[in-house]
Amino acid sequence: MRLRVRFSKTGKIRFIGHRDVARVTERAVRKVGLPVAYSEGFSPRMRMSFGLALPTGYESDGEFVELPLVDSALVDGAQGGAGASDDVAAGGPAIVCRGGAHAPCEHEPELDAPSYCTIAEALSEALPVGMEVSAAVLTDGRGPSLQAAVRTCGWRFEIVGLDEAAAAKAVAALLAAGTVVTERVHKGETVSSDIRPSVEVLQVVGRSDLGAVLSAELSATPRVVRPSELVPALASAHDMGKARRTHQWTCGAAGRAEPAVPSRCAQRQKETLSG
Amino acid sequence: MQQPRVGSDFTSWLLAYPDTYEIGLPNQGLQILYELVNERPDASAERAYAPWIDLEAEMRTHGLPLFSVDTHRAAGEFDIIAFNLSAELVYTNVLNCIDLAGVAVRSAQRSDADPLIGAGGHCAFNPEPLADFVDFFVIGDGEEVVGEITDVVGAWKHSGKRSGTREGLLRDLAGIEGVYVPSMYAVSYDGAALVEVTPRYPDVPPLVAKRTVADLADWPYPRRQLVPVTEVVHDRLSVEVFRGCTRGCRFCQAGMITRPVRERPAAQVREMVSAGLERSGYDEVSLMSLSTADYSGIAELVRDTVTGDASPHDTAGGASGYGTADAGADPSRISVSLPSLRVDAFTVDVAAQVSRARRTGLTFAPEAGSWRLRQIINKLITEEDLYGAVRSAYSQGWHRMKLYFLTGLPSEMDPDTEAIAHLAANCARIGQEYTKRASVTVSLGGFVPKPHTPFQWFGQNPPDELSRKVRLVRSALGRNRRVQLKWHDPAASTAEGIASRGDRRVGAAIEYVWRKGGTFQEWSERFDLALWQEAMSACGLDLDWYVHRHRGEHEMLPWDHIGAGLHRDFLWQDWQDALAGHGLPDCRWTPCYDCGACTEYGIEHIVASPVAPNGGSQGTGQDLATGHVVPVELRPRQLAGAGAPAGGGA
Repeated sequence: MRLRVRFSKTGKIRFIGHRDVARVTERAVRKVGLPVAYSEGFSPRMRMSFGLALPTGYESDGEFVELPLVDSALVDGAQGGAGASDDVAAGGPAIVCRGGAHAPCEHEPELDAPSYCTIAEALSEALPVGMEVSAAVLTDGRGPSLQAAVRTCGWRFEIVGLDEAAAAKAVAALLAAGTVVTERVHKGETVSSDIRPSVEVLQVVGRSDLGAVLSAELSATPRVVRPSELVPALASAHDMGKARRTHQWTCGAAGRAEPAVPSRCAQRQKETLSG
Repeated sequence: MQQPRVGSDFTSWLLAYPDTYEIGLPNQGLQILYELVNERPDASAERAYAPWIDLEAEMRTHGLPLFSVDTHRAAGEFDIIAFNLSAELVYTNVLNCIDLAGVAVRSAQRSDADPLIGAGGHCAFNPEPLADFVDFFVIGDGEEVVGEITDVVGAWKHSGKRSGTREGLLRDLAGIEGVYVPSMYAVSYDGAALVEVTPRYPDVPPLVAKRTVADLADWPYPRRQLVPVTEVVHDRLSVEVFRGCTRGCRFCQAGMITRPVRERPAAQVREMVSAGLERSGYDEVSLMSLSTADYSGIAELVRDTVTGDASPHDTAGGASGYGTADAGADPSRISVSLPSLRVDAFTVDVAAQVSRARRTGLTFAPEAGSWRLRQIINKLITEEDLYGAVRSAYSQGWHRMKLYFLTGLPSEMDPDTEAIAHLAANCARIGQEYTKRASVTVSLGGFVPKPHTPFQWFGQNPPDELSRKVRLVRSALGRNRRVQLKWHDPAASTAEGIASRGDRRVGAAIEYVWRKGGTFQEWSERFDLALWQEAMSACGLDLDWYVHRHRGEHEMLPWDHIGAGLHRDFLWQDWQDALAGHGLPDCRWTPCYDCGACTEYGIEHIVASPVAPNGGSQGTGQDLATGHVVPVELRPRQLAGAGAPAGGGA
């Protein structure tokens, strides 16, 4: 079984790279004493798999990491396995951490996987400021990896100094175009490619102090197209401001879904604390 | 997360490390002071690191000053900017940071309201090359003196830093034991020769004696080690297990200026390890000291750390976590790294304990290739000691290790240098008995004589001679594919030599190099010897005279007014003994020979074990098990009078 964790990356912490996120996460897991499995061999490492890497400097509300748990750390009712989602949702196993056992949250019976908001809270506490865990749910660990499962990403980004009307015009023009060829530097070489097929949704959603705010849904295959590649095609004289990943979407039997939705329970607790 | 307080009432320190964040963050000295200052109700400390050249260019373009990483406060707003001096080649970065702070680089040109520029660390034991740029130096351990300086600067701050009072403040600082204020001293020369360094006021001490913390148990710091979110060097928990070293290696400045040995109690080490791991989330701890295998009960400490027995926390059903006492195959156990291993103390037992978790890198430092030369440098380990340690390591599953040597040592002859290759080849051959993958990396450093050591009188080898010795080792190694050879740039050793034993006049050359853009000289891609040579001649200074010249017994040395506790005649005698090939035993387990470090200060070794650790010859030249075993006090006692032997022996 795996614990699938959804977390954010906002504020100053957005400037640390993907490898550093992994190292910070590993330390947080150890601080919480979460029973995560290690690799075998000469130099055992904590096993963890992330969703699509977030470009350094981007914020995110939807980052994911899956942590395989050691079997012996799951107690009570864990034997139902993957198919028995109804049973699991009703109760689900407790996860034994170093500091004690965590039972699934009772407040979210509508979820189809047991959710552990106390673990989410403990991880948030252990992570640096700006990284908040919004959900921790138990999955059977079958199916494709997160990296393979994610089909599109939702983004929200600013274009500095561009007003909303001009942005709307640029968006309409881009969406009307048959091809949008852009250049980017890849491994030291300038590569040009048509990004139009990757743009599934693009719209102006408002403005910030800096300029227009757009939202987009861009496909993650065959390669991840970033908002920073869109901006020159929309307004070549303008820079991109802050960009934030809002979602990573997978496509399952039940249609488009996220690997885990933010736990409302955890959020309620957070609001209670901060309020 | 620690958040320093900001407010105009606080006496504020900016603790600056004059190299990049990645290099500077792990520095323990800086972290200790950071905590101690922030624990005071009336003071705050923040940190700054040298911006790399790309960031510096941006900062200068946009008119941004050096700022703290904690709150991004401008460096110029602090009361004190204090630099850690771990190596000489960072000196140009110190000047650059002062300049980036918006402060005049030369102390004499600063106004009353400017921050005070301070410096401490091992290089402060010869403060003269930076004397024109730094307002005050701290000599020795900083734990106590940082508070005393805060008191004095705080009083001045609250009196309004009125115009014309800076000189008085500096004079007050000069009155604090262990604080050296260069501007309070007049220096005179006779041609090239230094003649006199005299206090300018009667209340300024003629000799500034170092500060020494008597008992490390009183200072369990850092309690909250900083955990960086980006990768840095030494990215692990660090716990200092003892300070000081009396092995007496004659090239080693650290071993001379940090005496006596002060062990941290084992129970406190365990508590610091377990609490530190729990709050940091690290899975590796470094047990730090100048020679960690010499710590009393090191094997037990390593074993308990690896298995989690050091942890006072419950094992509460932990299938994971370091609370697991079971020594089975739990991979989440803690790795232990031991820096500075002496080969005669690295036994199979220690090797076995370390290897129970992930095997950390292993470095042994025989320092010299031949027994003859090791006697001269007083690194009294035999060839058999080295092979024993290497065998221990290979037998416990290591398949590569690093051997560190110095070249350009006093009296070194070609057979001594070539013996390095012989030792390395033998080590690799031993490895072959255990694994086909066995290999050895030989790392050669060019010897730079350091102040306050018996070798302070020795003329350093010129770079071409050091390069020749590197080639000598390389050709002696032949086609041995199991031995990799690495070496430190001999040209960098020359520049290091200028700053190592330079006097006040050398400051002009350091400033010249900085003004020509010579920052980050510790980085090989940035180092430029030609710039240093140009600087020396532009300032009318003779590089050979400063670096390559042997000094005589009666020559006044630029750091003679700085007291490291060691009697000058002891150092000279040890220098003569070195040339005669006489070794000197470790005084922590044998009678005191009165070097001065203890007797001058009324302090003593604090060592839990009265005898040397098992294994090897221990290089003392005597039978430790039957004779000359000095009962060692566990707490310092007050001596009847200065000058009495401290060890109680003989």
